[in-house]
Amino acid sequence: MKIPPKEMFNAHLLFFVMHGAQIGVGVQGFQRIIYQDAHQDAWISVLLAGIATHIVTFFMIRTLEMYGSNDLYGIHQDIFGRWIGNVFNVIYVLYCFIAFFSVLRNYIEVIQAWIFPNIGEWFLASTLLLIIIYAFTAGLRVMVGVSFFSVILSLWLVLMLGFPLKFASVNNLLPILETDFRSILKGAHSMTFTIIGFEILMVIYPFVQDKKQVSKYAHLSLLATTTIYVAVMVVSLMYYSGGEIQRTVWATLTLFSFISFPFIERFEFIVVCFWMLIIIPNLCLYAWAAYRGTIRLINISSTKFIWLFALLIFLGTLVVQTRFQINGMDTKLSRAAFYIVFLYPILLWLIVIMRKKVMMKK
Amino acid sequence: MIFKRLLDKQQSSPPMEAPPTNVEPIANTAQLFIQAIQAATHYPDDLIVKSLSPTLTLLYINHLVDNQTLNDHIIAPLQVNTTTTPEAVIDTLSVADIQHGSILAEAIDALVHGAALIHVAGYSKVIFASIITRETRALSTPENESQVIGTQVGFNESLATNISLIRRYIISPDLCHKKITIGRRTHTAVSLIYIHGIASEQMVNTVQQRLTDLRIDALIDSAVLAEMIDDNSLSVFPQMLLTERPDRFCDGLLDGKVGIVVDGSSMAVICPQSFSEFFQSQEDQNLRWPIATFVRLLRLAAFFLSVYLTPFYVAALTFHYEVIPQAFIVPLSESRALVPFPPIFEALLLEIIIELLREAGARLPTKIGQTIGIVGGIVIGTAAVQAGITSNILLIIIALSALASFTSPSYMMGNVVRLIRFPIILLAGYWGFYGIMLAFCFLLIHLLRQSSLGAPYLSPFYPPRFKDMRDSIIRMPIPLTAKRPTFTRPTDEYKFNPDEPIKPKKS
Amino acid sequence: MAYRYHEKEGDDEKMKKWLWCMILLVLLLYGCAQTNILERIGLTTLIGYDVGKEKKMQTTAVIREVNPEFQSKVDVITTEDNTSKGNRMEVNRRVSKKVMIGQMRVILFGEALAEEGLHYYIDASLENASVNNGVYTAIVKDQVAPLLEYDYQNIEDIGQHIYRLLEQNIQQEYMISSMLHEVGRDYYAVGRDMAMPIIEKEEELIKLSGIALFKDGKMVSTLPPPDSFYVKVIRDTFKSGIYETTLQSEDLPSILQKKTDDTMTVAFDAIRSKRTMTLVDAKNPEFDLTIKLKARVLEVSPSFDQSHRKSVEALEKAIQHKLTKELARVIAHSQKVESDVFGFGEEYRSHVRHAELTKEKWHSLYKNMKVNIHVDFVILRNGVFE
Repeated sequence: MKIPPKEMFNAHLLFFVMHGAQIGVGVQGFQRIIYQDAHQDAWISVLLAGIATHIVTFFMIRTLEMYGSNDLYGIHQDIFGRWIGNVFNVIYVLYCFIAFFSVLRNYIEVIQAWIFPNIGEWFLASTLLLIIIYAFTAGLRVMVGVSFFSVILSLWLVLMLGFPLKFASVNNLLPILETDFRSILKGAHSMTFTIIGFEILMVIYPFVQDKKQVSKYAHLSLLATTTIYVAVMVVSLMYYSGGEIQRTVWATLTLFSFISFPFIERFEFIVVCFWMLIIIPNLCLYAWAAYRGTIRLINISSTKFIWLFALLIFLGTLVVQTRFQINGMDTKLSRAAFYIVFLYPILLWLIVIMRKKVMMKK
Repeated sequence: MIFKRLLDKQQSSPPMEAPPTNVEPIANTAQLFIQAIQAATHYPDDLIVKSLSPTLTLLYINHLVDNQTLNDHIIAPLQVNTTTTPEAVIDTLSVADIQHGSILAEAIDALVHGAALIHVAGYSKVIFASIITRETRALSTPENESQVIGTQVGFNESLATNISLIRRYIISPDLCHKKITIGRRTHTAVSLIYIHGIASEQMVNTVQQRLTDLRIDALIDSAVLAEMIDDNSLSVFPQMLLTERPDRFCDGLLDGKVGIVVDGSSMAVICPQSFSEFFQSQEDQNLRWPIATFVRLLRLAAFFLSVYLTPFYVAALTFHYEVIPQAFIVPLSESRALVPFPPIFEALLLEIIIELLREAGARLPTKIGQTIGIVGGIVIGTAAVQAGITSNILLIIIALSALASFTSPSYMMGNVVRLIRFPIILLAGYWGFYGIMLAFCFLLIHLLRQSSLGAPYLSPFYPPRFKDMRDSIIRMPIPLTAKRPTFTRPTDEYKFNPDEPIKPKKS
Repeated sequence: MAYRYHEKEGDDEKMKKWLWCMILLVLLLYGCAQTNILERIGLTTLIGYDVGKEKKMQTTAVIREVNPEFQSKVDVITTEDNTSKGNRMEVNRRVSKKVMIGQMRVILFGEALAEEGLHYYIDASLENASVNNGVYTAIVKDQVAPLLEYDYQNIEDIGQHIYRLLEQNIQQEYMISSMLHEVGRDYYAVGRDMAMPIIEKEEELIKLSGIALFKDGKMVSTLPPPDSFYVKVIRDTFKSGIYETTLQSEDLPSILQKKTDDTMTVAFDAIRSKRTMTLVDAKNPEFDLTIKLKARVLEVSPSFDQSHRKSVEALEKAIQHKLTKELARVIAHSQKVESDVFGFGEEYRSHVRHAELTKEKWHSLYKNMKVNIHVDFVILRNGVFE
């Protein structure tokens, strides 16, 4: 598939795309899940998960480089042939669909829990979906732009992490490495749901203008994400005591609860709503990744696709209602994502390498 | 949309501009020629026909030509030397713009454009001596874009004057000027102006293409033209700048932009224009850089304040009473205690009152307009609070946001701010901060979708160009802003060599 | 709609659809979110919990209402029910406006309730998204209801008054801080216990009358207000806080004494205090507690010649001595009641690997903990007149 140069974007924007795709709903409350396993060493788990993303991305880029300007879907079709390749593509499209749904549903849950307990999820879903459709129909350039602004305009939230430090105690981090390594790894594994999103690289790669720079910016964005996650984790660990962090559902949001300015209090209300800007790139990019896969399977226009996609998601929000269902979905997605995002790219690289060797011999 | 469909229909129907009479030659007897002219112009009473000698006939439209020139340079010489051939007539006349033609349509065209026609009996040829005079007002200070420091001259309605103003600022053979006529009925002269060697050829061609492709019957003002050749005419955001300041116009040209001047309109169009440039004033260039930066930031803050302050109030009072600081809660709720309406209604009411005042002030004669401002501001405001239909805190907020919306140097952008506040207030009134954020995201995506002549509207922020940001919402000192904005895709990227100091060191 | 430059066909149709969608939504969703219009709700600014007489709990809510007739009024309503939400319903039945708790500033607990345990109440407050984590908590001597219901002559809004009282004292660092977040944190921490200020009614006034010490969420003992300085010094580093002490004659060095049985009263204002806890022995917990205090002398009576280096040093010594003694007393008291409000346990947990510390285990260790106190007291300056 040839990509017109008009749709391509500069490599440095890849930083914002990947970063924007990674940071989403997970970071609002990942602390308790990681803490369950890794206790005060949870930040090491986060760090390890971050390092894992670097490794996986390294292999992703290796694989993609071998194909030049083809995305994951193209690679599938090339390796496994049209039929089996398409089966893989369907799986990946489904994954994107569920990831999209999960992000949306989790955000709706946050809004309902914090601000509007009795607003219908169908309403929140439809408004968010309309925004996504509006961005999606404008094409990738706009979606990349949304990611860019999403990252830039949310930078101030990082500064807000300074406020909770007033109550921080370094003792909460000690003793370092008390938890055994297995548990820390388990904690890192629990990070999957929070840290995924960078797999968008597999689909967006052909659209990057300067392919040589991809690796630099991809890794930079992962580094930025990991830094932010570790910072949030460290601050949370220092701010909360152990038992409290395990019981706080959205620990990151609660961090902002006591912040007050002369003109405004209860900062988390602002933050919860502002988070919309943070999840929009998530949603856009997952929808777009699903679209790229779908057009390999069937001939569909982007407008038709996104309306259909939105309709399905919308119907989904009517089905998944309770916190249990959402948590169950998140765990399942997280488990699937671990294989799809973390293990599969390395496997794919091996297959591509093997295939290349076989071809060379021939 | 309907308009466009009409245009489409017109395009499909056979063109009406080339009736077969167009090529009709000029009769060689004066009698027939006069009749033909009179028939074509529907026997106007101001068409003057004068017989200068047995062979020469003079036709012109009264008040459209300059009487002095007509008497001194046409009638007088022709009465002195009796000539009988068109060539001799041309030689005799001491008028600069003199042409001849043999087609009737040309003759009529010249006549309505202010030429005196001289017909020589026996020849099917006519001489057009253009001695047009058009009533125009004297140059005055720009009313809508006034500034303290800087030139105090604005464009007026005369294309010739405007062009001469521009040519005064940019004295260069590279200043290109293309004339295009738009309007099937009005034949309005439109000038496309750009600087060769700076402006991108592609953009010039795009503008030219858009102008020549316009099939409308009338063009009265440049604002209409700007709206029609915008990238997205449906958006509330203007994508081209209308300015009445020649210095701003020329500054735009020097940045590689393309300018359009319309005859009869005192506003010139500059494109492409990015969103942030609407918040720049030409005065910023004249102020010292820290002050200019401050003012620009102030304006941008005013934009956000103006758009989001009232919705924020509505949202906080309707849904999120938790975010109101303790010190505010008592004064706020006490000021609201008497108000019978929910905050959204209260805010909309007051906003509409402000809009009414503004509209009334703009429509009324200047002197009464001022009175309306005072009457409205003080009397209605105080009365409304005393009558208990609004809270005085909201009054302050609304006044503040109205004030903030006036800071935009572009009137067009000020209007946008004025309008988009309403849907956001509605959203805030229905869904609180969530609604505000929804509006914010929608606005962001909308702005991202826009382009100006194909150049990104949010440049230099997206796509990010750090060098361009030096002269965007901030203004760095002049030596640091050597680069022309990238989004105009200038052929010559630098204004001066950034490595060399622009002013040699003092010895 | 560029007149010719429409890249995608039917862009206008799409826009039309868009408009329709938005309009439809707005119409459909009219009144979808529940409104809490500021002046139409009763703002609970303070809530007090007591042990109920018949049902599980008794709550006293201070509710601020705004009415067009009289600008604003404060209601104090006491109800009884089994849950706090049930109580809220009860309150709702008694007032004309919807009662909301998003502007709550203070939570008070009755002494009896505190002795029973506050676990449930802390959890319920932390769980509720409308409750700010920055609200202050305090204990009321005896019952909350009488304190709030009394018609004070000079206090118009009792909720506001108590909030200001606590805020002022906590921000000036005269009193230990007890924000809901801190209380929750200490409650759920393994090696730390909660502490809260105690307030009581004194005729027409309300005053801070001490510190409540907790063990496992149950109030076990109290300390008088002057001791809050010592508790604060050991609990965390701080910046200000006036402290006044009387040096007994046996503590006073001879250089400062004019007569042998003189006592000396000193008031100083701690500019900076820094405490360091180090675990010396993990088996039988032993801590070195070093406290560095930099202070400004405010008042000394009887006055002495402060320009002499020797006498100032002697005063420093004397205060050091006095502080050490007092700190030891306060710690010993808390050990006796097994309430580790200072966070020695956290220090222990963070320095002993695989301690598998639980609250119970720590409390048994805490009882026999040894603390070596070192106070380093420096007088930076005195006033502008010597």
